Amino acid sequence: MSKFADIQIDPAIVRRAAHGDSRAHAIIYQAFKTPVYSLSLRFTRVPAHAEDIAQETFIEIMRSISKFRGEAALGSWIRRIAVSKALMFLRSAWTARSQSLADDWDEVTPGDAASHGISSHPDDAMDLDAALANLPTVGRTIVWLHDVEGFTHKEIGKMMGRTESFSKSQLSRAYQRLRPMLSPNRDDVATENAALRSI
Amino acid sequence: MPDETKDEEMICGLTADERDVLLWGLNELPETMPPRAVWNRIHDQAQAEGLIRTTVTQRPSTWFAGFGIAAAVVLSVIVVPRLMSTPDPITPYTEPPATAANNQPEVTALQALMVQSQQLESDLRALPEEPSVMRASTIATLSDIEDAIAAIDFQLNESGVQMTPDERELFWRERVRLMKSLVRLRYAQAQRTAF
Repeated sequence: MSKFADIQIDPAIVRRAAHGDSRAHAIIYQAFKTPVYSLSLRFTRVPAHAEDIAQETFIEIMRSISKFRGEAALGSWIRRIAVSKALMFLRSAWTARSQSLADDWDEVTPGDAASHGISSHPDDAMDLDAALANLPTVGRTIVWLHDVEGFTHKEIGKMMGRTESFSKSQLSRAYQRLRPMLSPNRDDVATENAALRSI
Repeated sequence: MPDETKDEEMICGLTADERDVLLWGLNELPETMPPRAVWNRIHDQAQAEGLIRTTVTQRPSTWFAGFGIAAAVVLSVIVVPRLMSTPDPITPYTEPPATAANNQPEVTALQALMVQSQQLESDLRALPEEPSVMRASTIATLSDIEDAIAAIDFQLNESGVQMTPDERELFWRERVRLMKSLVRLRYAQAQRTAF
């Protein structure tokens, strides 16, 4: 489901980037700018912060791409960097507010997601978008890491400096907030999905 | 893995259907492109840290653009029929006879890519217009591909940078790959609209 996995870059371009070729880096940036920025924006909700995270991510890619051996897909490698930078940012933000990773549920009242103009059927992506935006940062981040980026609870716990159980419980709480809008009713878009997956 | 999934469902309290709806909805969420200034910031920082190098031209590259267009026109008449009968139009060239010009094989591979790219452009134009209503994920993907092609075109046409034939071929190869993706997606979209 992760958009990162769908993006393929010619290995020769990666090799050129490893030698510092600015044109090769421009191609890599063009290919990955949207998933990196979208992920950052999804986590932080603040465009200026997402821009900072995207900048740090691509600078890190430039610093480290010579170490990329191609054992994993480039997209997975870049996703790791982006997630790491985004979580680092969130940690610093939480630290600045003297909050722990676990206690931001108090910032959002339980009824927020359901009362935010959410219809009973998510045929409009904006409904889910709004519901996600109303989740606390930790819950939203874990939903995204687990359900979109495909990380396991163990990996999420490790990345956040917490336990596997922490990830599971946070996901559970997030699901409870989202549940009112999760009535099964969706269009058949198999053909277009297949085409998107094949790219 | 199935055990883990079952475990998660029990912990998280969603039914399989609810979770399917959630996953589908998450996949449909629109993506957001960063402002153009972000690349400028990255580029400036990368240059300041010495992470990238920009090759400065020794002469304008416009000669190549003119040559490429002329070559593409010639090849569309001479080479395309041959390419269409072979399984892979980007097949590496065979060693030329000793009397051939030294740069002949490189030009041939590059020209083949140019012709293929031109053909894909033509295929794209032949498809019906984009539907007025599209899924957000489709728009995002189309936009990403078009952006990537535009970036490559910019690099290929940038007059301040010198490129070796190998570099140019690399960029044209990537352009062809992206064009194929674009045509495939637009074709699938057209099929869906037709029904």
